[in-house]
Amino acid sequence: MTADTRSRPRVEAISKVTGRARYGSDVHLAGQLEAGVLRSRWPHARVRATEVARAREVPGVHLVLTADDVADVRWYDEQVPILATVARFIGDELAVVAGDSRTAVDEALALLTLDDEPRPYVTDFPAAAAPGAVVVQDGDESNVIGETKRYDRGDITAALARAAHVVEATYTTPMQVHHALESHGATAEWDGHTLTVHDSTQSMHDVRDGLAEALGLPVSRVRVITEHMGGGFGAKQVAWKPTALAALLAMRTGRPVRLFADRHAEALAHGRRNPTRQTVRLGADADGRLVAIDAEVLIGAGAYTIGGEDSVVEGPYQYLYRCRDVRTVKTTVRTNLGPTVAFRAPGYVEGVFALESAMDELARAIGIDPVELRRRNLPDRDQVDDLPLSSPDALVTCISRATEEFGWSGGPAPSDPPVCRGRGVAAHDWLAGKGILPGYAHVAFTSDGSVQVVCGSQDIGTGTRTVLAQIAADALGVDIDRVTVVLGDTGHGLHAPVSAGSSTVPTMGPAVHDAAADAREALLGAAAEHLGIPVERVVWDGRRLGRPDGSTVELTEILDAVAPRKITGDGAREELPDDVSIRTFGAVCAEIDVDVRLGAVIVRRVVVAPDCGRLVNPLLARSQVIGGVTQGLGYALTEHEVIDHELGVVLNANLEDYLVPTIADSCEIVHAEVDVLDHAANPIGSKGLGELPMIAVAPAIANAVYDAVGVRVRDLPITRQRLLDALAEREGR
Amino acid sequence: MRSFAYERAASVEDACGRISDAAPPYAGGTDLLTLIKAGLRTPERVVDLKRSGLSRDIVDDGDRITLGALVTLGDIERSAVVRSRLTALSEAAGLAATPQLRHRATIAGNLLQRPRCWYFRTPEVGCWLKGGTDCPARTGCNEHHAIFDESPCVAVHPSDLAGPLVALDAVAHLQRATGTRTVPVAQLLASPAEERRSETVLEPGEIVTTIEMETSGPIVSTYRKAMDRAAWSFALVGVAVAARFDDRRLAGARVVLSGVANTPRQATAAEEVLVRSGDLSATTIERAAMAAVDGAEPLSRNGYKRQLAIALTAEALTDIATRR
Repeated sequence: MTADTRSRPRVEAISKVTGRARYGSDVHLAGQLEAGVLRSRWPHARVRATEVARAREVPGVHLVLTADDVADVRWYDEQVPILATVARFIGDELAVVAGDSRTAVDEALALLTLDDEPRPYVTDFPAAAAPGAVVVQDGDESNVIGETKRYDRGDITAALARAAHVVEATYTTPMQVHHALESHGATAEWDGHTLTVHDSTQSMHDVRDGLAEALGLPVSRVRVITEHMGGGFGAKQVAWKPTALAALLAMRTGRPVRLFADRHAEALAHGRRNPTRQTVRLGADADGRLVAIDAEVLIGAGAYTIGGEDSVVEGPYQYLYRCRDVRTVKTTVRTNLGPTVAFRAPGYVEGVFALESAMDELARAIGIDPVELRRRNLPDRDQVDDLPLSSPDALVTCISRATEEFGWSGGPAPSDPPVCRGRGVAAHDWLAGKGILPGYAHVAFTSDGSVQVVCGSQDIGTGTRTVLAQIAADALGVDIDRVTVVLGDTGHGLHAPVSAGSSTVPTMGPAVHDAAADAREALLGAAAEHLGIPVERVVWDGRRLGRPDGSTVELTEILDAVAPRKITGDGAREELPDDVSIRTFGAVCAEIDVDVRLGAVIVRRVVVAPDCGRLVNPLLARSQVIGGVTQGLGYALTEHEVIDHELGVVLNANLEDYLVPTIADSCEIVHAEVDVLDHAANPIGSKGLGELPMIAVAPAIANAVYDAVGVRVRDLPITRQRLLDALAEREGR
Repeated sequence: MRSFAYERAASVEDACGRISDAAPPYAGGTDLLTLIKAGLRTPERVVDLKRSGLSRDIVDDGDRITLGALVTLGDIERSAVVRSRLTALSEAAGLAATPQLRHRATIAGNLLQRPRCWYFRTPEVGCWLKGGTDCPARTGCNEHHAIFDESPCVAVHPSDLAGPLVALDAVAHLQRATGTRTVPVAQLLASPAEERRSETVLEPGEIVTTIEMETSGPIVSTYRKAMDRAAWSFALVGVAVAARFDDRRLAGARVVLSGVANTPRQATAAEEVLVRSGDLSATTIERAAMAAVDGAEPLSRNGYKRQLAIALTAEALTDIATRR
């Protein structure tokens, strides 16, 4: 591998590996209390905590709050009391305790008992959608959230009728739990005027606004700090209950309070990817051109909605391929489970699994190569909004890069039963990666000649500090070692959006670039004045400024000359172009072995080619690729929340039975870099990357399983049980 | 987690006097602490055995190998003696849990750990084994459960090492206040019954002190395990095979399945096929592998375990055939 100067290791690497980086759960303040939550053991029940007085008497306990104590604080989009009187899922919060130690808190929690009246419940989403199902929210007519969403273009019935080839199948995708290493929570402190929370969040500003609203505080008196955070993957885009409860306890005890969910609670009450059932019909003409795409999508949600989620499962059907006649129907239903929220490319991971599995089935039905089928159906524009694509060649480039790097044209590998080799391909698009508005940045030269970049973003582990420093250094023409990025605190007063939707680089990148360019202009102006030459003749090499004749001065001389004035610049990203459709794309190839006797899928190699526009830092991009592919492998093969619907109970709300992939489950992961600049998207030509590498991994694996053994598994994850059952069914065993 | 007191036993006799339902023995703690954290046990105190004089030695007497109760899975995995003479045990230790857990977990604790059945482990669910009236796994999510019906409970024994120990005819030496006794591991572990809702016949106040295996006459053994994840998973199905050869002829064989019953299940029908034929030809292996699941009655979701047991048995026997 040749050294690439763009491949800067993340600036906080050493502080992270030495344990010095401070996460919200590491914060320890003088007088700080610990807190814990009493949770519902019933999927649906009227509940009241009793024996509260006894719990309050436990030595070391400072405060016990139950529903009655905080009845005015409302939560979720449904605006229910923050501590429930009607529990709607196992894990629903009923009471909270603050004390000197975890021991005191747990002692008090154990004393609290529940007066409960169990109610009927439904946890299986197809059952929740059926007529006569138990209704999760009192007063609703059914469990359907909002309305069934219908999209139509052309005439789907006629199109299917005239198609030369039609495939139809139903696919299901599981509930995937984020299981970030750091759970949801915060350490909160209240000084009688301002509430400060050290939160584990992807969006400090949304947490600030959400807390202010729920607690009745002006936004100016809430400050959110996120120096570092241990993973979010979409589940930490808004204020969550542990943060609000820590704040309430801090405000009422006058002491700092730390409250983080334990692993069991993290799995039950703090978000998961929506499960889906998708019935897909694809029609193609004799040449393999898509003439009809029809999808009926049912999505399972939890008892409550909390924002940060728009599961656009129907998106890929509408946008990914050129097709005149398209219909999608989407219904989302509540169940008696904890809330479902965004999870790395929400909706598209689910939709692309079904669509790309169906495309593979179609390729087999027509008898053409699955890569060729995709090449024949590339989109030439955004057919929903009728706009040109900002990067029209992106998808075909991704497919070419992935297949070249994989060696697709070399043909399939020979199989040697009982171990059969297979290969699969899948493509995808993604609605995000274009930016979330607005974002602001401020750049200032400090008196020693170094540069400070200030913004209101948070680094969620993707390397935001590093990438923004690189962008600023490039625009200023200085060495990156002289640039410090200051972020992670709403107290700086500069707004930045949620770090989600692969939006940080395309939002904050242009803002930082603008601010740096502004500061550079100010510097050159000041130098021109000092040197007595026109600005366009000033020479700047990143350290010294000079005249064209070669006489130069130190940067600090200019900074001294303008003192006490500072040389600064401001930048913003406040609008997106409305004359193009900014989308991102990708392609994945996978090679696997299937041991048919043991039902084992051994993934040998995954090649991903994600289109993120200009690559700012290939090393950090590779980290995103490794993480995304690994989460995709989990989604394909091991991860699913197991629920006994009879009992309404999640059976694997832990890390022993919920199988996040280990290193041993991973494989060779190849990042086929695409690096196609997208200047129609924004001035720096970069789009977001974070979500892309995960999206099409599962269908590539499932398609490879079919290629290997001729069995189509349409339900994820592809466990040994599913694969052996499918193989046995085929053999009539 | 509720707080509890910590006591250190000064001797094995002291430990036997102190332990009770409210005061469980504590060595590696890798199972006990998970039970406490899940609220399945609420001890008043734990009795640490690590300084009680219990052995952490692997002793090779030539014709027998003795493992002290405190020997860790990591010790077993790294022992050259175990690897060469009790290969199945060595392989099972290496496939269990994670290096961190193997560093703490002891052989005795591994044998005596409670089932991983997710109904048993989930705090919000009642079940027969926890004192309830019925077993929800029988009609529920039973993909990980028993395919041999031997008890009101269909949880499987989680230990990777128990199968090899049974295959290697290991005996456990036990001690209690009133004396000592020796019990084959195959009998130490027993299906839970109405009057004894646990997986062992250990008496109250009784402690495993050592585990012993005869190794006179070379034994060729191996362990195979199928998991839903490549590491850090309990076995869906495990198979331990131990064979003794008389010259070229197969003189004796043990085939023991894990993950299919409340206890490691000796596949006697498979053993009979092997001993009767006296060879390890492909035909014999196939017949023995099929016989390994004789009498299996899968539940609604675990029929695949039959196929796994057959395939793993065949794989293990094939390996034995090439290694002898």
